[in-house]
Amino acid sequence: MELRSSDEAAFRQVYDQVFPVIMKVAFHVTYNLDVSEDICQDAFIRFFDKNMVFETMDDAKFWLIRVTKNLAINQIKRKARETASIEKLKQVTPTSSYKDGASQLLFQESTESVRKAVAQLSEKYKTVIVLKEYAGLDYKQISKILNISESNVKVRVHRARKELEVLLGREDA
Amino acid sequence: MCLDDQILNTYLDGELEEPFRSQVEEHMSYCSACRDRYKKLKNLKLMVEASVISDSEIETRKANVLRMIENTCFSKKKPSFFKRQLRINLPAFATVAAAFVFVFVGSIVYINRETNQFIPPNVENTIDENNVNLVNSKTVKTIDDYSLEEILDSLDKRGYTVDLKIKGVAPVTFE
Ligand SMILES: [Zn+2]
Repeated sequence: MELRSSDEAAFRQVYDQVFPVIMKVAFHVTYNLDVSEDICQDAFIRFFDKNMVFETMDDAKFWLIRVTKNLAINQIKRKARETASIEKLKQVTPTSSYKDGASQLLFQESTESVRKAVAQLSEKYKTVIVLKEYAGLDYKQISKILNISESNVKVRVHRARKELEVLLGREDA
Repeated sequence: MCLDDQILNTYLDGELEEPFRSQVEEHMSYCSACRDRYKKLKNLKLMVEASVISDSEIETRKANVLRMIENTCFSKKKPSFFKRQLRINLPAFATVAAAFVFVFVGSIVYINRETNQFIPPNVENTIDENNVNLVNSKTVKTIDDYSLEEILDSLDKRGYTVDLKIKGVAPVTFE
């Protein structure tokens, strides 16, 4: 099955399947819904404009994830420069978005602290955690997207979780 | 020898290959310390996964972006009247007190495609003595009397594609 990115029918098919994944990537890197929406729009317009041919749906998906990831990382870097004077924690507002139907205070609290912890990870670890836990990719897929070896992905996932555990543990205390 | 976190994480992700996989399972069948550690790592993973952005928020954004793309990439049918993205980036400190949304609509020209006349919605388009009124006594409607919503509605009814993007910057919350 070949997909041409500027073909409307193919585009819609890819859009339908891939949008949720890249929205997750954009959101959990930036933690801002409006910014994430802009990033996804930007990624899909680039996808359309480039008029590329992909051999499989997965190839198109990986291309979009890579572009989205880069746009999102660039955005937080830019933002970090702009707001260098404000404390790092305060630029993150992970309050707006909760899983459907889960309104228990406890759940919201854990969601918020997890998001804050993810936001505090260094770029290297944040990227693998977002691709692993939110985009649901396996080591091999992540290694393709990041252009690093699978064993490198394995190590980064492990270290990222270790760091998250520390960040979350510190908050409990 | 007990299992380290690296191996447990790889096992947890379903990425540990044989024979290591079976060895891990066998070890955990009799070592409660490793079983407990595994449980902790698993809970951490579940907790992280549970903090994912909600499906309803994804759906809303998905519809927004698709509408935008349909207008910019696919739309060859409707004439695009004005397509402009207005975006005001506020410095972060300005968002502390409140979220500001600025809307600036300037120089909107209405042109009827058939007659090439200016057509503000229900506004008379000739200017003569009958049309000149004191501001506080005027009876004839001018463009200023219409809300943005009415103007957009009027354009929409005439078949124009109108993209209007208003960006608000979410306030930073301090707890
Ligand atoms: Zn053990």
